Amino acid sequence: MSHPAMTAVMGAVFNLNHPAHVVHWHFIKLPLANVLVIASMLVVFAIALFVPFPGAARRAAARRGGGAP
Amino acid sequence: MSGAHESSWTVKVREKAVAALPPEKLLPDGQPTYVASWIYMFGVASIAALVVIITSGTILALKGPAWWHYTGIGHFFNSIHMWAVELFFFAMVVHLWGKYWMAAWRGGRTRVWITGAITFLVAVPTALTGYVSQQNFDAQWISTQAKDGLNSVGVGAFFNVTNFGQMYSYHVLLLPIAVVVLVSAHVLLVRRHGVVPPIELKARLVSASAGEAQAPPTPPPATVGAGS
Repeated sequence: MSHPAMTAVMGAVFNLNHPAHVVHWHFIKLPLANVLVIASMLVVFAIALFVPFPGAARRAAARRGGGAP
Repeated sequence: MSGAHESSWTVKVREKAVAALPPEKLLPDGQPTYVASWIYMFGVASIAALVVIITSGTILALKGPAWWHYTGIGHFFNSIHMWAVELFFFAMVVHLWGKYWMAAWRGGRTRVWITGAITFLVAVPTALTGYVSQQNFDAQWISTQAKDGLNSVGVGAFFNVTNFGQMYSYHVLLLPIAVVVLVSAHVLLVRRHGVVPPIELKARLVSASAGEAQAPPTPPPATVGAGS
């Protein structure tokens, strides 16, 4: 069972006591929650492309210099 | 080795398996340096989420609906199971995007791509049967909505989302086995063919192997330790 205090705190942060918000544009109709998940996937995809992997630069430099990676 | 042993089906299977996937390919010392990128991490992230899904799902199956509906620890494992599924699909979709844009079917990797795509398609009904197996109003709502869609395409007669027993069997046995078998085949094929290189690097390797004088010599892809 959820603790009443925890329920109150979470309820204050996320008020779910309403019909779902829907993004409606022409024939496209998506719940806001799904839109947010899709947007966050795009953001994570971009981050994965552009944020350097730890140690990748060091390995690439070692490879260019002929040293051990 | 005697002739009798050479004709054994176990010997033939072993020799074929080792030829297709020698131990140094199955468990390599390291990966090419181009794998040191975040975009290559989403496949293994999907597998990590799948391990959590199967572990939490096994516990839920052992304890039953009353436990996951009416106890705090049951709610906790129910949530773990659901959020692991969310992460599984999240990581799998980003993995799919990454592999699509680097054309990961190159270099004889067609079956790698196909097993990954089929895994995604099989994972969708695996999740659907989970939603309709919850035994609550949410499951009733989803199943009565889904039945109309499935009936409209003519599969409702043998895949009945309002039949709890059938959906639960699909969810805890048939579809998870299919997903695990497909993921295993996918990973073994990746081991066999290697992780697909970035397009630019492959083009440079091809031009270097063609002996273009103006191109600087390109070393073969260096590898990094498996643990690094």
